[in-house]
Amino acid sequence: MEYVSPEGLRLDGRRPKELRQLKAQLDVLSTADGSALFEMGNTKVLAAVFGPKPTELRSQEDEKRAIIRCEYAMAAFSTGERRRRGKSDRRATEITKAIRNTLEQTIMTELLPRSQIDIYVQVLQADGGTRCACINAAFLALAVAAVPMRDVVAACAAGYLDSTALLDLNYMEDAGGGPDVVVAVHPNHSNRVVLLQQDNRVAVETFEEVMELAVAGCRAVADFMRGRLLEHTRALAAARAAGEDGGGGGGAAMEGDSGEELEDDEY
Amino acid sequence: MGRRRSAAAQPRQPLPSQAMSAAAAAAAPGGSEALQAEAFQRLYPDQYLAKFVAQGVRPDGRPLALPRATSIGLGVVTTADASALVKIGSTTVLAGAKCEVMPASADEPDKGRLVVQVEMAPLCSAECRPGRPSEAAQALGEQLGALMEGAGVVDRRQLCIDAGKAAWAVYLDLYVLDADGSLYDACLLAALATLASLRLHAVTVDDAGRIHKAGEDGAAAAPAAVAQQRPGSQQQGAAPPLRSLQLDCQPVSLTCGVYRGQLLVDPTAEEEPLLEALLTATVDEQGDVLGFYKAGGSATASQQRVLECIEAAKMRGKEVRGLLQQALEAAGVADGGAVAAGS
Repeated sequence: MEYVSPEGLRLDGRRPKELRQLKAQLDVLSTADGSALFEMGNTKVLAAVFGPKPTELRSQEDEKRAIIRCEYAMAAFSTGERRRRGKSDRRATEITKAIRNTLEQTIMTELLPRSQIDIYVQVLQADGGTRCACINAAFLALAVAAVPMRDVVAACAAGYLDSTALLDLNYMEDAGGGPDVVVAVHPNHSNRVVLLQQDNRVAVETFEEVMELAVAGCRAVADFMRGRLLEHTRALAAARAAGEDGGGGGGAAMEGDSGEELEDDEY
Repeated sequence: MGRRRSAAAQPRQPLPSQAMSAAAAAAAPGGSEALQAEAFQRLYPDQYLAKFVAQGVRPDGRPLALPRATSIGLGVVTTADASALVKIGSTTVLAGAKCEVMPASADEPDKGRLVVQVEMAPLCSAECRPGRPSEAAQALGEQLGALMEGAGVVDRRQLCIDAGKAAWAVYLDLYVLDADGSLYDACLLAALATLASLRLHAVTVDDAGRIHKAGEDGAAAAPAAVAQQRPGSQQQGAAPPLRSLQLDCQPVSLTCGVYRGQLLVDPTAEEEPLLEALLTATVDEQGDVLGFYKAGGSATASQQRVLECIEAAKMRGKEVRGLLQQALEAAGVADGGAVAAGS
């Protein structure tokens, strides 16, 4: 199968170093403290954050920091073939762990001792890169919930097919058998790498090239998310200025306040 | 609501309390009143609701008999064979259908299967926990499945491919994304919208008796046959013929709550636990009753009450079918059997 045409175009018409179209909607769920719908091309992920709240199980309580709970689930109709994914699904468990570990390094858990933050991500439609989309969606939901964080965390994948480094693989490319490098970085801390996953045989030079491309992708995703968050915060501020802080508006404005400034350590 | 509830439940967490006092100080004098009203609501939810209802309004500003604004989006998930996103107020349900070919069952050789499953994603409310599907989700799935079967919404003989050999299994998965009351109504509407927009693939049976969906790999037989009939047409260009599902009736439900002798239509999650009883009436387009559900509650329902609820459901049914029709037309699938049945 040809993944890159002689004209240098990929299966879905992108150039090798092009991201899919990114879309984000913030605060989409009424009941969650923070929520976001994040789309990378045809991959659609919904994330919701509940908390910070007191730990539910006394035995899990940590005096020094908040505990993060995470749950990843795929809708039965999200993939090409319908598959019933049980809760004991190993792949889901692994992705859950990757997401949780990434976010634990990003959230300033030490500021929220004895509390708990629940993060739920639901894949609605999958077309490769669900892991990255989940991390990005979860970050946005956390930001909307005004959870203090060290930095933006943005994730992006890159691969190598037909001797070309490709950014943000879709499902077809993902299934192509080449290396698939998943990276999540803190872009404002000189691209500190928080998550790096790669499970395929690959030459060191190639790896470097692909990794570099993935990090560049992360930066682009981070810029996009930051822009959307600023927009969201401005809209909230405008809503508050317009005097909309009756019952519902009050809560929203409150969260907008601190929602804005998670980005850098201001504590 | 969960947002505010959890914000208040974190005494050791400096951020929200600071922000809250800041918001109270910064806002106009009305701000602290709003906070007081919020505190009153949390401490005395019953009195809070009672004060509203006494005035003939609801906490969200609706009159008692008005359902929330409803929207239907079709084809939102492209990986599903049909999908619908239904919002009633902030209650949100995403439904997706997937069709699979299965060997015909021995009991019903000329019928396919329709499997309805409801999943309450843990992100749907602050109360939901991950893990085993909740009691509520299982009950919803069972109720919907029973309605589909009992009211004969889909004649499952339509799902037959080759009697005694193969049939379609339609898996209808409903994901509750935001649980803000009246879930049954939203789930039923999402299920109905999905089924009404579902198109079954044409299938071909090859020499070995295997079945292929037209337009998929290995289904060369069908396009080839088409091409033979119309030599001019291109093989790739011929769209695979799709068959819509004939719905024998279009059930629409409405949930009403009894509260201090009044009927609250389409209650929210905030109101539901305070209500004395919940009545759900399901009617078809002729106004005939397809189902009624009242599971306990501290109040009993008089016959009068039940009829009131059914009347409200009929009104609601007209409105909702209109919305569904619009959505189907917008999605360009309105030519199907669902419409014929509806008229």
